[in-house]
Amino acid sequence: MTTRRKFLGASAALAAVTAPTVDALAQAVTAKSAFDQSGLVGKLEGPTQVTTIPSSFKEAPQLGELVKAGKLPPVASRLPAEPLVLKPLESIGRYGGTWRRAFIGPSDGENGNRIMASDKLLFWDPTGSKIVPSVAKSHELSADGKTTTLFLRKGMKWSDGAPFTADDFVFWFEDLYGNKDIVPSPIPDMSAGGKPGRLVKIDETTVQFQFDNPNYLFPSLLAGDTLIGGGQAVRQSNGNTYAAYAPAHYLKQFLPKYSSEAEVNRRAREAGFDNWVRMLHVRKDWQLNPELPTLGPWKTVRPINTPTWAMDRNPYYYVVDTEGNQLPYIDKVIMSLAENIEVVNLKAMAGEFDLQERHIDLAKLPVILENRDRGKYDVHLDLAYNGADTTLHINMNHTADAEVGKWLGTADFRRALSLGIDRDQLNETFWLGLATPGSTAPAEVMPESPGPEWRKKWSVLDIAQANRMLDGLGLTKKDSEGYRVRTDNGQRLVIQLTAVKAFMDWPAHAQMIAQQWRKIGIYGDVKEQERGLAFQRASAGDHHILVWTNGGTELLYLYPLWALPVSTANGSYGPETARWYASNGAQGTKPSDPHMLRALELFRSAAAQKEEERNKTAQEIWKIMVDQQFHIGVCGQSPALMGVRLASRRLGNIPGRVCIAQHCRTPGSSHPSTWYYKS
Amino acid sequence: MAQIDSEKYAVATQLQLTWWRFRRHRLAMVSMVLVLLFYLLAVFADFLATTDPHATDARTSYIAPQPIHLFDDDGSFRPHVSGIKGVRDMRTFKLVYTVDPSRKVYIDFFGRGYSYNLFGLFETDRHLMTLKNPERGDGIFIMGTDLLGRDLWSRLMVATRVSLTIGLVGVTISLFLGVLLGGVSAVYGGLVDTVIQRIIEVVRSMPTIPLWLGLAAALPNDWSVLQIYFAITIIISLLAWTDLARVVRGKFLALKEEDFVMAAELAGASQGRIIFRHMLPSFASHIIAAVSLALPAMIISETSLSFLGLGLRPPAISWGILLQDAQNIQTLALAPWLLLSAIPVVVVILAFNFLGDGLRDAADPYG
Amino acid sequence: MIAFITRRLLLGVLTVWLISVLSFVIIQLPPGDFVDAYIAQLSASGSQVSAAEADSLRHLYGLGEPFYVQYGKWLARIITGDFGESMEWRRPVTEVIGDRIWLTLLLSFAALLLTWSLALPIGIFSAVRQYSFADYAFTLIGFIGIAVPNFLLALVIMYFSFVWFGTSVGGLFSAEMTLAPWSLAKVWDLMKHLPLPALILALGGTAQLIRIMRANLLDELRRPYVVTARAKGLSETRVIVKYPVRAALNPFASNIAYLFPYLVSGSIIVSIVLGLPTVGPLLVKALVAQDMFLAGTIVLLLGVMTVVGTFISDLVLMWVDPRIRHQMD
Repeated sequence: MTTRRKFLGASAALAAVTAPTVDALAQAVTAKSAFDQSGLVGKLEGPTQVTTIPSSFKEAPQLGELVKAGKLPPVASRLPAEPLVLKPLESIGRYGGTWRRAFIGPSDGENGNRIMASDKLLFWDPTGSKIVPSVAKSHELSADGKTTTLFLRKGMKWSDGAPFTADDFVFWFEDLYGNKDIVPSPIPDMSAGGKPGRLVKIDETTVQFQFDNPNYLFPSLLAGDTLIGGGQAVRQSNGNTYAAYAPAHYLKQFLPKYSSEAEVNRRAREAGFDNWVRMLHVRKDWQLNPELPTLGPWKTVRPINTPTWAMDRNPYYYVVDTEGNQLPYIDKVIMSLAENIEVVNLKAMAGEFDLQERHIDLAKLPVILENRDRGKYDVHLDLAYNGADTTLHINMNHTADAEVGKWLGTADFRRALSLGIDRDQLNETFWLGLATPGSTAPAEVMPESPGPEWRKKWSVLDIAQANRMLDGLGLTKKDSEGYRVRTDNGQRLVIQLTAVKAFMDWPAHAQMIAQQWRKIGIYGDVKEQERGLAFQRASAGDHHILVWTNGGTELLYLYPLWALPVSTANGSYGPETARWYASNGAQGTKPSDPHMLRALELFRSAAAQKEEERNKTAQEIWKIMVDQQFHIGVCGQSPALMGVRLASRRLGNIPGRVCIAQHCRTPGSSHPSTWYYKS
Repeated sequence: MAQIDSEKYAVATQLQLTWWRFRRHRLAMVSMVLVLLFYLLAVFADFLATTDPHATDARTSYIAPQPIHLFDDDGSFRPHVSGIKGVRDMRTFKLVYTVDPSRKVYIDFFGRGYSYNLFGLFETDRHLMTLKNPERGDGIFIMGTDLLGRDLWSRLMVATRVSLTIGLVGVTISLFLGVLLGGVSAVYGGLVDTVIQRIIEVVRSMPTIPLWLGLAAALPNDWSVLQIYFAITIIISLLAWTDLARVVRGKFLALKEEDFVMAAELAGASQGRIIFRHMLPSFASHIIAAVSLALPAMIISETSLSFLGLGLRPPAISWGILLQDAQNIQTLALAPWLLLSAIPVVVVILAFNFLGDGLRDAADPYG
Repeated sequence: MIAFITRRLLLGVLTVWLISVLSFVIIQLPPGDFVDAYIAQLSASGSQVSAAEADSLRHLYGLGEPFYVQYGKWLARIITGDFGESMEWRRPVTEVIGDRIWLTLLLSFAALLLTWSLALPIGIFSAVRQYSFADYAFTLIGFIGIAVPNFLLALVIMYFSFVWFGTSVGGLFSAEMTLAPWSLAKVWDLMKHLPLPALILALGGTAQLIRIMRANLLDELRRPYVVTARAKGLSETRVIVKYPVRAALNPFASNIAYLFPYLVSGSIIVSIVLGLPTVGPLLVKALVAQDMFLAGTIVLLLGVMTVVGTFISDLVLMWVDPRIRHQMD
């Protein structure tokens, strides 16, 4: 059969471009022997995909009852002809149980989005190192890079039983994405070389993304957490309408195209909305609307904007285990609203949650470990791949204060600031010694890593050199307390560190750094601000240095926000530059720094390059960024963000270690649908 | 009980009478002394601190309070602390400190430490206690250290100064506004009363939290943290006067019917004289009671607001900020000594309350 | 009397309007808007928001219009009973507040009840037995109640009850009960969780009331009419309760008005620490997120309650102190 040959051919092509290998990652883990003592960092593992399709299928008992009662079609017809087959990590599981979890409010949608991540078209394997099929059973990238073809699963159905076909893609492209009222501006993901692409139906189970210019990056975009590839759960909630497909049969009723503008507006007002657009945005949001058809393992039965966000199994989920049992094993997910982080952690220690990695505070690790037996859970530490949990993002376009702007724009100044930081001290205090001090470059196992020597480049403690460099720049005069003074008016040079108390206590980090900078004569003024305010001021380019993470940059092209000024949504490195890049030179200001210019040019050229070349380009970009210290890394590759995982001892198939990275959609890529309750 | 000569008693002034009565209230006397002590402490905060309250050091993170040994091995009086070293247990991830009694670091009285401005005037680096020849990681940790390795005692000294001064400013403004507007409202009645009452209502029903949040955001970014806080304190006291005003008005309204007021009016006394010479003293005690509660209330507000992240923020140091450091599970479990910062708060508030009690009892002309 | 009431009513409406303007201004004061706060919040939890998404959100919420236009629209809707939609919760504001208002009221009344039932007798007792050991003891305990910041108490108690008793901490219900419909079991669950927060909330107010009660009563007890009453042969209890206590209640009456908003805002911090699903934390979160309609409505609600409370307080004052009543006419 054509499809199967194509499938096998595509997989072969896939296998050829995988890097790094699982072995390389495993080696990297054992190399970090500092953590081995704790016994908390396990083996990076997860369920694997197999191609053999089981001959018969089984289902959860309560679904079986519904089938007998004639309320549900039999399992074989609920699954696609070629379901995704997962080999569970340890053993075939049992059906049943309720997954108890915590969330902190209606804005914590990511908590559930990530669990639904298998609704993405393509995804990454549990090690985060290779692209694997997900909703799409395979993909093909044309030799010239201009066309990406997705092969869907025949007979696949939405959670309400309606067929999932290429028509759902056409519907999205023409009726949603193409409608200016719904999507005001096109997304960069859908264009190559500045020209927009098209989404075309080839047949019932085949769709193509066609571009006029080579776009070798596109399959990675589909696999990553991007606007086009993120999946329906995350990319069609909260007023967004991306993700490449949508349930046409359900959403048609909300569009004027299928009745009339007056009609949909009338219906909207009846339901209490201002207009049809607002109604559409709420109705297509899986977090809010239990009736929305979805593709993930569970579906919402009680929405997120209540004290309990509850989900039940999806009877049409397209994944089975190697014995033909339709997943998920676990029946329900119940998330209770916890008003703050202390309460979440305290309840977790009391054993009230079954698997919780989100909102668990690394600083509480000793107490969490103490309560393991009482709470009946195991603790796993998962290490991230991004270079720095704490990064000093430098505004290289600061215009409000010319003198400060000058220094922030000078590479040697930034390097000196970096050399003045005692990272080991910060590692000990805030990461309990579990992080790797160094630059912002991604972990060495990542394909885009520029190499191990770039970890420490400019990113070690060298007070003598820092002082020499600052003296060399002309900042020789100091005031009575030993702080360097400005060259324009002789007053103390003050560098502001804007810090938000978010998932790490960044103001405390900033305080320590400011104290360390006394030795190099720089006065660091720590400004703790509310999240909203800090970001708003950063977007306007008001800040000097913003202290934040650089998560996501482990795969630069999929999530460049915290590395380069390429998006106007993040002005950390200078909003004018971002505007210039995003508008292709039409607006904003071209960067005067030749290194920044080069980095941006390399970035822009990458989409047209094949994977190997693209990785090399990324390495070049990292070399520039680290050498020029566009952002100063402190410590990273740690369990600080979602890396402290509490797993109830009743659960089976729990991996020893999972991938912590933006593209892994932690815990999505570990397939929660394969976890089960042993008792 | 001091027996005052009955003759002296008969001719004593009101102030003397007040003082003599006040002395009887033992608790109030003690409290007054305490309050004065605290303010003295505030003035000499840096002198009493042993290490720079801002200096961070991972090596001294989360050290439990360490005793000062007064006598050396040979029995001579040579106060010292023992060397201490910490290592992180990579299985429990706790910092385990071992004390080395053989390594003695001697205390230097009036020795040299970090430099500061005494009375805001002249610079010095003398402190009550410092260490002779300390190595890195040595310190006098009588109250232990926080996560960033900073000595709690030193930070507490500086925090006391900040919190006490800020309370004072706020209360003074509130007092002035409260008595003025409450009195005017009651005495003049009619339209004036109505307008002031409306203003009071509007102001009182504004929950302070939104006001603070809004103002905290609207103030210029480059003001120092302390400047911002003073600005906000002034604004908050512009809200706090309403309590006092309303009570004053209530009392005034009741007093207006009193005989002695009518008598004064008949005698031809001016409005001002009636208010200040006759009416005010009769509920002065009530005002004093309210003020004695207002100061601690200001302190509690600062503490609460810093806890919410709206008041003072680090790197400023105040009681509220120190308490915020203690407001989490890992502190309660791993470093409970950080809760010691609550003690001066409690003591000062109690002291002000007893002081107010005593003053009220003493000032009561009908007692 | 009627004229007085009508006048107060009209003035009340005016006050409420002023409050609404003020609250709207304050909420709008911080630069930026809901979308900025929302983006920041998403970034904080590790999600990305692109310029395209930000655009569509602003488009969605109609932000960017001038302040007075937004205020005017809001006011117009409120008058028709439409309090708008919470941008963060994406539900009507009335639903979001409604969920929590009953629990807030319950908690506040529990705290109120505790406060008064403790403070009044202790205050009276202290005044009557002035300078006795019991007086000092109660005074001390009461003061510890004021002096120790109640949020500190909250976290400490929460943590230690977990360590020693392993109890389900935080919140007003245990995890299993939150989803369950109302039943006797659920009510019992609530009753089990209520005393702790109510006690912590009550402590601060109790001490204050004790002080005031004691001070007022002492003032009254020194008056000539008390001596007269004793001389006439009334029992000690009657002497104290019939007149002095009533007169001493004068300042209480002044303060009733603000009890409820005080309880709501005074309990904000404790509620945050203990993770209680009440209005206080809702307000703070709404302010941080710049969720205009929600924050504005809550502030307005507090304002209305205050005005109503003041009105009631004036009536009570009139009832309690006949001297004032006569002056009114």
